[in-house]
Amino acid sequence: MKSYAILFAGLTLLSGLAHADKLDDIKKAGVLRVATFDGNPPFGFVDQKTNKIIGLDVDYANEVAKKLGVKVELVPTNPANRIPLLTSGKVDLVFANFTINPERAQVIDFSIPYFASGQQFLAKKGVLKNAVQIPELRIGTDKGTTMETTLREKYPAAKVVLYDDTPFALAALRNGNVQAITQDGSKLIALLANIPDKEKYEIPAFAISEEYEGVGVPKGETRLVNALNDTLREFEKNGIALKIYDKWFGPNSKSPLPRLFKIGDTRLSQN
Amino acid sequence: MNQIQSIMGQMLAPKYLAWLIDGLWMTLLLSAIVAVLATLLGIVIAAARSSRRRCWSLPASGFLSIFRNTPLLVQLFFWYFGVSGLLPESSVEWLNTVHGVALGPYLKLTWPSFELLCAIFGLSLYSAAYISEEIRSGMRGVAPAQRLAAAALGLNRWQGLRYVILPQAIRVALPPLLGQYMNIIKNTSLTMAIGLAELSYTSRQVEAQTFKTFQAFGVATLFYIAAIALIETTGQLIRRKQRLAAGAQR
Amino acid sequence: MSMQFRVLTDNLPYLLWGAYPDGPLGGAALTVLLSAGSALASALLGLVLGIALSLLRSWPHLLLTMVLGLLRAIPVLMLIFWTYFLLPIVFHIDVPGVLSVMCALALIGGAYLAHSVHAGISGVRAGQWDAGLSLGMTRTAVLRYIVLPQALQMMLPSFVNQWVTLIKDSSLAYIVGVGELSFVAAQVNSRVMIYPAEIFLFIGLIYFVLCSGLGLFAGRVAAYFQATTT
Repeated sequence: MKSYAILFAGLTLLSGLAHADKLDDIKKAGVLRVATFDGNPPFGFVDQKTNKIIGLDVDYANEVAKKLGVKVELVPTNPANRIPLLTSGKVDLVFANFTINPERAQVIDFSIPYFASGQQFLAKKGVLKNAVQIPELRIGTDKGTTMETTLREKYPAAKVVLYDDTPFALAALRNGNVQAITQDGSKLIALLANIPDKEKYEIPAFAISEEYEGVGVPKGETRLVNALNDTLREFEKNGIALKIYDKWFGPNSKSPLPRLFKIGDTRLSQN
Repeated sequence: MNQIQSIMGQMLAPKYLAWLIDGLWMTLLLSAIVAVLATLLGIVIAAARSSRRRCWSLPASGFLSIFRNTPLLVQLFFWYFGVSGLLPESSVEWLNTVHGVALGPYLKLTWPSFELLCAIFGLSLYSAAYISEEIRSGMRGVAPAQRLAAAALGLNRWQGLRYVILPQAIRVALPPLLGQYMNIIKNTSLTMAIGLAELSYTSRQVEAQTFKTFQAFGVATLFYIAAIALIETTGQLIRRKQRLAAGAQR
Repeated sequence: MSMQFRVLTDNLPYLLWGAYPDGPLGGAALTVLLSAGSALASALLGLVLGIALSLLRSWPHLLLTMVLGLLRAIPVLMLIFWTYFLLPIVFHIDVPGVLSVMCALALIGGAYLAHSVHAGISGVRAGQWDAGLSLGMTRTAVLRYIVLPQALQMMLPSFVNQWVTLIKDSSLAYIVGVGELSFVAAQVNSRVMIYPAEIFLFIGLIYFVLCSGLGLFAGRVAAYFQATTT
């Protein structure tokens, strides 16, 4: 009987050890596994020449890994897989234009926001002029994004079609299967810049929500979150954040967008 | 109990269950439509394939070869994203707008969404390729004397097929045909990639909203198993009736 | 309505073998490896389960039949979701994408093959069993030396056909980000944007070549065994 007790105690101790801190695990393994988009310029997309994933989120991931002293392993994902990848332990962080919202914050943790945007629309010229037209249109967006939730809350009569990722929604828009697609304004601007026949499309100048993007972290990893937050604030102080932003959205980039949000800003509104 | 609770979590709210049931309804509707269309098309192709005239049998073989040797996913992508990109803009717009026809004061038939149209089209072609092979085996299972007897009665080839051979062939091929119908139900899950709101799509949606991965996928899986089990039981009942009927004849 | 094919020639290496050697293997090469691995695993699984199906009686047999029926009632896509997302949560093991897809495909393929194996074993004439038993061999020995070799010869075509099915089912791995042919094609399509028809037609062609090639091989194998047995 005593041997069973010892065995049991030993196993519980081991299981406690098994739930060691994620930050320590990353440093020990020497690899930071990060989920990023692979079809969403300029946040995460495949470079034609090198066939590697590059983008704003990838640059951030590389800098964080450099700070931690580990290598980066990128895992391509679509929006709907981001949370399952975190909860099943397949990645350590999610750097994929991940909007912070209270429902998600119940299952995973977020860092402080490092990017801000608003939900906007992309449509053929002249189709969508202001928000009241939304319920009449077929709108495409991605599964597993806040876009769908917001549309459903604010415009329940709109016809929404969900695709696995933004490129599919864009293809549907180009073919005429949907009349508009909705995404982060910053993503849409970059998307528009890459469309071969961009004169036919426009982004109407209204947004239906504000989105703050943060880094996705598995729930309960407070040391990792704190390390991340400190690192992000440091990036803002030493100019790395500005450098990364200018590379993809600066005045010389393909899709210039003035930088209104800096890391560490308090949010403009509480939702 | 706590272990199970920690894995299964709480049950889904009725609102999300309703979404899943909507998805199940779409799956069943799509499967039913495809089963009918694919069987009709399958009969035509089986007849063409077994014809002695090469102008019929060669194109039929080509059709079978193409649709059985390429993945359904790629076919669906091709029809939805590829072909609609090639079609002129006006026809795509027409296909996508909702045309309604009111039959009387309460009934209104609406043109199905383009996603549903594409799914029906793509899935029917794919399933017809497999169903036609089952029907062809069924035709081989019909005694050759039947064809000769039909000819002796003055029926030409098509009449012989329609009144004598095919009814018997389908009865013989019923078990594998039911197997193909079960495959149709399972294959509808692929149409989520082209935006059709069937069961797999809605289970992903529910999972993305509630983060209850286990419950969302669990309920969807149970629905699929129930639908398949329904067809399986129907098959068993039909087989029993056939056996009893055959026994009574002896 | 003109179709341009330059997009295919520009991206051919990426479509055929992904980012290799600068990155993990992908594209058509990964499809072949993934399907071959799943085919092997499902063949072994099907063999074991089929033999079990033939040898077991009463309630273990019933239980096994139910489990196999369950596996054949789930869509492949759903099983991939389960093995990729839920297996790690329940069993606390991390399974990389390729392996979890192989696992899902092997389970379903194995369930179908188990029935083929069972049918093949049942198809060996009863006289063979009696002859073996009357020579004083145990049931297992009869199975191993007499029945199984004959049964396997009959079933080899269906094993190869299962491989063909698995090549097509591997396209579903795109949903969990495994970089096989459909996934990289979708990536190229999202970057290039304006040539979806050409891209999907081309990968349809690649799958067609792979599947029909294997199908022809299956036919040759069947013909060979037909010729060598009376």
